Amino acid sequence: MLDLDEHLAAIAAGDPDAFGLWVAGAEPSLRAGLRSLAARVDGEAILQEALLRIWQVAPRCVPDGRPNALLRLGARVARNLALDELRRLRTLATDDVDQVLAEPAAPRAPDPLLRRAIEECRGGLPKQPAAALTARLEAAGGDPDERLAERLNMKLNTFLQNVSRARKLVAECLERHGVDWKWELL
Amino acid sequence: MSDEEQQKLVEQAASAWRGRDPRDGRAMTHPAWLDLDADGRRQAFAVAETLRALEAAIDPEGLSTTGRAVLARIRREKP
Repeated sequence: MLDLDEHLAAIAAGDPDAFGLWVAGAEPSLRAGLRSLAARVDGEAILQEALLRIWQVAPRCVPDGRPNALLRLGARVARNLALDELRRLRTLATDDVDQVLAEPAAPRAPDPLLRRAIEECRGGLPKQPAAALTARLEAAGGDPDERLAERLNMKLNTFLQNVSRARKLVAECLERHGVDWKWELL
Repeated sequence: MSDEEQQKLVEQAASAWRGRDPRDGRAMTHPAWLDLDADGRRQAFAVAETLRALEAAIDPEGLSTTGRAVLARIRREKP
């Protein structure tokens, strides 16, 4: 099993690069833990806030002999932030506490073959969808879509249609390559 | 709401960009997410899961745009 706690000492010492390695492995599990509340809280906002809190509390994380102590702590942080948001919105129900997964799924190692297949599929995208997808990647969550569309001289609608098209074309291409991307990625 | 309008909101809400609350700097709910119904929000979550996984798979350091956004903020705020 992949144990992301191999990065814990460096993270606790304040090394953002080590935290990046941890985030790369932990994000899918933390995001999946918020799925049951997807209709009631904005999972992306909760997850970003949770990751910041995890960075802050990591120096206080004490390994307990089981793998992925920081990931388990992180899942609790994300869960508590989601429940706080429901409380703030006054929509917290009695069974919500049990609905949100407290135990995260085990992290998976990256697959170099999948990476190559995605790059090949991305390389075959038509110009406009490729440009929209690249703009999203390069902005790295730092700019809203309105700004990215403006940079590409696209209307917002056109930009969003191109992002959507890029995603669907990459998925279709992966399927043609025999890649079960839903299983591999999610 | 038309299907086209719903799809536009889903794609926006599925991006990793989030505004910051000027009071405490917290990541705020995306305005497009607020305009979606429950099905649209679930769809946005699923699209975000796929996009983030694709992004991470092709990133040299395995980071999605969510990871990159958070790391950028940590590096900016690091004393």
